[in-house]
Amino acid sequence: MLLSINTSSGLPVYLQIEGQVKQAIAAGALTQGQALLPVRRMAAELRVNPNTVAKAYQNLERDGVVRTVPGGGTYVADSSPGLLKSEKLRRLRPLAHQLAVESLQLRLPTGDVVKLVEGELGGLGEKR
Amino acid sequence: MSDLAIHTQSLAKFFGKTRAVDGLDLRVPRGSVYGFLGRNGAGKTTTVKTLLGLLRPTAGSAQVLGYDIRRDLIAILGRTGFVPENKTLFDSLTPAQLVRFNRGYFPNWSDELAARYAELFEIPMHVRFGKLSLGNKTKVCHLLALCQGAELLVLDEPSVGLDPVITDLLLRVLVEDHVSEGRTVFLSSHQLAEVERIADWVGIIENGKILLETRLEDIRQNYRLIRAAAETAPSVSSPHLVAAKRLENFWSYLVARDAEDFAAMLRAKGMTILEILPVSLGEVFLGLTRKEVPCISGKPGTIPAPA
Repeated sequence: MLLSINTSSGLPVYLQIEGQVKQAIAAGALTQGQALLPVRRMAAELRVNPNTVAKAYQNLERDGVVRTVPGGGTYVADSSPGLLKSEKLRRLRPLAHQLAVESLQLRLPTGDVVKLVEGELGGLGEKR
Repeated sequence: MSDLAIHTQSLAKFFGKTRAVDGLDLRVPRGSVYGFLGRNGAGKTTTVKTLLGLLRPTAGSAQVLGYDIRRDLIAILGRTGFVPENKTLFDSLTPAQLVRFNRGYFPNWSDELAARYAELFEIPMHVRFGKLSLGNKTKVCHLLALCQGAELLVLDEPSVGLDPVITDLLLRVLVEDHVSEGRTVFLSSHQLAEVERIADWVGIIENGKILLETRLEDIRQNYRLIRAAAETAPSVSSPHLVAAKRLENFWSYLVARDAEDFAAMLRAKGMTILEILPVSLGEVFLGLTRKEVPCISGKPGTIPAPA
């Protein structure tokens, strides 16, 4: 798959890789069982440090998005990551915190914030 | 074997009264891509030349690939590929002749790579070096350094004169044939976007001293730009404050870590926090080295309240 890296955004390169892989899966461009490029190939294609790609793949594996076969590559994992609900919530908490901080800062009513999240979920849900 | 490819201890090089390198402590891990950054005249090239025996250090010590630069220079040079800042070689020889001249010095030389890079970089191999454009001279220097099978590549301004296509190819070759093989690349450059792509460590030098040496990831995870507004800016102080800038009622603070705590302190002093942003390497570089910032360059610290 083709990714695009933007170094001037300040967003860490490994997060850009993670985000684009997750997005490609959500959009159906990458399907279950499909192989990602090997770390070295992906690094060479993107002209980034192989450690950065390895880190992105590790994080994706930790999140249950991909699975790595020792010595045999990295594949898109089966649809739902089998995590405990508490663990799933733990992962989202920092994002929720950030959203809460920003919302307070902007003095947005809670109802509007909830509606916003529901809207985003709905938009993605249609593609699933 | 040392796990550092380059290690200096209070390295110094003076030219008369000019302290070009002034107590430099570098730690370049093996296998890393290390971006060595600094403004013009900061001491980058002097450092590189001192490490490779082209200049004798005034004081301090340094080891390259575990070898002492004063005692074991031959061992260092045989294992290090070097692209110098001024891309000069014998003007009367053609690149093909330069290849023949160089290959004898390096037991791990690869003719196969030489042929591949000559084609890839579109190098005119049978035109005298002196007649080549700066870009083509730069490419020849790279070809010679890349084919040695070197454990360490020292590249001083590697992309000078190269067009964007060749720069992009060079980055690919570096990642594919060197970084992926676990070799160390020490890269002195002003091209921060390139460094940000392929480096995993950065060192920023100013006035011959290291201002900052860290993993690039540390900058990405911990460094933040806080934009805030207030009628009158309060006096703030934090060991993590790197730089601050003001335009009318708007302030921006660059902090090295604990951005949330710093923002909370600003808020407690009556400032409105507009946003907390991740920063690029370029912003950190400017924050540390730009002279107009009101806190002491490179010394995180206190900013007095404006009069």
